[in-house]
Amino acid sequence: MTKTADKSARVARRAVSGGLRLAPYMFLVPFVVLFVVFMVVPIFIALYKSFFSIERSGLGFGGSNNSIFVGFDNYIQAFQNHEFIKSFGRVLLFAVIQVPIMLAFALLLALLFDSAVVRFKRFFQLSVFLPYAVPSVVAALLWGFLYQPKVSPIVSILSHLGVNAQFLSPDMVMWSMINIVIWSVTGVNMIIIFSSLQAVPRDIYEAARIDGAGEIRTALQIKIPMVSGAVMLTTLFSIIGTFQLFNEPQVLRSITSNISASYSPNMGIYQATTVGGDPNMGSAMAIILGLATFVLSLVVSVATNGKKSTGKKKGGK
Amino acid sequence: MRKTARRMSGAVAALAAGALLLSACSSSNDAPSGDSTTTTSASGEKVTLSFWGWSLGLEDSVAKWNAENPNIQIDFYRMTGDDGDKIPAAIDAGTAPDIVQMEGGNIPLHVINNRLTDISQYTKDIKDAFPASAWNDVTFGDSVYGVPQDSGPTALLYRSDLFKEAGVEVPTTWDEYLDAARALKKKFPDTYIAQVSPNEAGFWSQQVIANGGSWFSIDGDSWKVSVNSEESKQVAEVWQKLLDEKLVKVVEMWTPEYWASVLDNEIATISYAAWFPAMLQENAPDLAGKWAVAQSPSFDGKPSAGIAGGSFNLIPQGTEHVAEAMQFVNWLNASEEGVDTLLDGGVFPAATVGLESPKLLTPNEYFGGQVINKVFAEAAASVPTGWTPGPTNDLTQDAIKDEFAKVVNGKQTFSQALDNAQAKTIADVKSLGLSVAE
Repeated sequence: MTKTADKSARVARRAVSGGLRLAPYMFLVPFVVLFVVFMVVPIFIALYKSFFSIERSGLGFGGSNNSIFVGFDNYIQAFQNHEFIKSFGRVLLFAVIQVPIMLAFALLLALLFDSAVVRFKRFFQLSVFLPYAVPSVVAALLWGFLYQPKVSPIVSILSHLGVNAQFLSPDMVMWSMINIVIWSVTGVNMIIIFSSLQAVPRDIYEAARIDGAGEIRTALQIKIPMVSGAVMLTTLFSIIGTFQLFNEPQVLRSITSNISASYSPNMGIYQATTVGGDPNMGSAMAIILGLATFVLSLVVSVATNGKKSTGKKKGGK
Repeated sequence: MRKTARRMSGAVAALAAGALLLSACSSSNDAPSGDSTTTTSASGEKVTLSFWGWSLGLEDSVAKWNAENPNIQIDFYRMTGDDGDKIPAAIDAGTAPDIVQMEGGNIPLHVINNRLTDISQYTKDIKDAFPASAWNDVTFGDSVYGVPQDSGPTALLYRSDLFKEAGVEVPTTWDEYLDAARALKKKFPDTYIAQVSPNEAGFWSQQVIANGGSWFSIDGDSWKVSVNSEESKQVAEVWQKLLDEKLVKVVEMWTPEYWASVLDNEIATISYAAWFPAMLQENAPDLAGKWAVAQSPSFDGKPSAGIAGGSFNLIPQGTEHVAEAMQFVNWLNASEEGVDTLLDGGVFPAATVGLESPKLLTPNEYFGGQVINKVFAEAAASVPTGWTPGPTNDLTQDAIKDEFAKVVNGKQTFSQALDNAQAKTIADVKSLGLSVAE
């Protein structure tokens, strides 16, 4: 049975290789189709829509509701929208605080798991990673419970210790959200850095040990520089993720009004499109957000690439 | 062997799930789609109309209608979750049902987007079946865009046990309400007369309605925005005093924190809609027998209630058999027989005939046997007619939430918050391309 199967497979393979080599493209089709339909096309639709506006007048009743070309009017209005501009500042601050803390945790955990210090490695690795499996809406709901004074065990423990915790107060609410995001994503970033650590050739450590370097010195001077590429990758993804901030503030807004309706750029877009019924304006805002994220990612990646190459030069010397 | 068996069962399960998914898709395709209007007989006598709604017991109402009207059959689909959000997109795409239940706040925005059918020629005879305030919500100029189904007149729910123990009379004016707040606080230091919840804009708007105010009105061919009107500011003044004197508890409504607060006897009164008592009963069962209902306070002591919630039956654009659809809608919401089926489902009806029905006016055990719906029915008749829904209802609600949040944080007063929400609303209306009367 195996013989015939083998033979026919070989025949099939030969047929394909002799022909147009369709197989690779066939495998790509599902991805490409979905990517084009759900990513590329919507981007162009949004771009197109952002240059139009609905023609209305007076009370708006009984109008034709024709779309008219307005050029960059929607973009100009979006830039004049203080709340929208402020929301960029907010997520930038969010990123500046959240990303370094989260990455420090992820790196520390990855180094610990890579070292010989930690026991029950698999169990702890899974525990750290597990929150990532919790959908962010559910995570925000869970933490939302823990932040409400009358129902939160955390608040009641803290109050027994004499600490009056107000997790949802205007000054604290961003930190509370940062906490949720750190809890959610540290695990997956740890895995990325950890796998990069695993790829480092072991003989380098051996050489270091022979040269008399201890665990900590190895970590600081060998492991961290070796995984700097992975760290930068996670930094980039984290920044992009922060700019897309939506689920956490949207969910927490249902339990505290200290998160405004246009807290993050994406919430402002939702506000314009879905709540306000103006998809043209929403499209313009979404294009602005997309461009801002793109530019920032570019800046970060150029900056880090520069660093890396100087590092290499030094190494070369 | 065991492995294969397991794999087999897995495959079977996957197949079954796929089949389920397929059948779910196909069934949802023929049930709710708007174009299911089919004319079976060649003469075009029999029509089947699709109806999306959520009121409890609508299945029974539809069954009764279908049995009596073989030529106009209604195909009912129960809306759940975010089905309501799909309606505007469905109408725009031409796949909307023939009849749809909707809340009132966004009717103007849908009219502006040409999503609703003017049904004024079918409603001449049923107009008087409803309180003027309800009819006001669906009338714009000479056009009518919906028929009221259920309603949410507001009244004052109060802790009769606490009021009795403190020797405080139930307030009928806002001045008395302030006095009651102070007296209660004196007797029970941990009890507040009410809660302030920035996240529940309806809690605020119903008091503005009760005071004869409105966020919007129509001035010729322009929208007039009046979020910070005299009527609103008068209400704001009361709440500013309550807040400044720390007589109200700041807590966001509907949160676990809120219900915990209610259960902890921290909140002595809640002035809210007819549908609220059922939620109170569900979330605070331990307080059975401790609540009673009275008319909400007003500024002059005369009964004047607000409205929160309430829904309407509308005919989307693109519905072919408007006349037949309206026959059903009028029967369901304005006839004694139709309203009777709504009452059987537990709906608080908008129609006056329903407000007098013995089916509505039954004693409520949770409220110590009080016929609370009698109070709400009376309230429905005393709602002022000044309220006009506007084109940016949801955005204005969000603006009020954001501004009130700053008030409870001590950053501004209610009066300033209303001024800011006013400015935001004017900008939003203009941004829609509409004109605003200054």
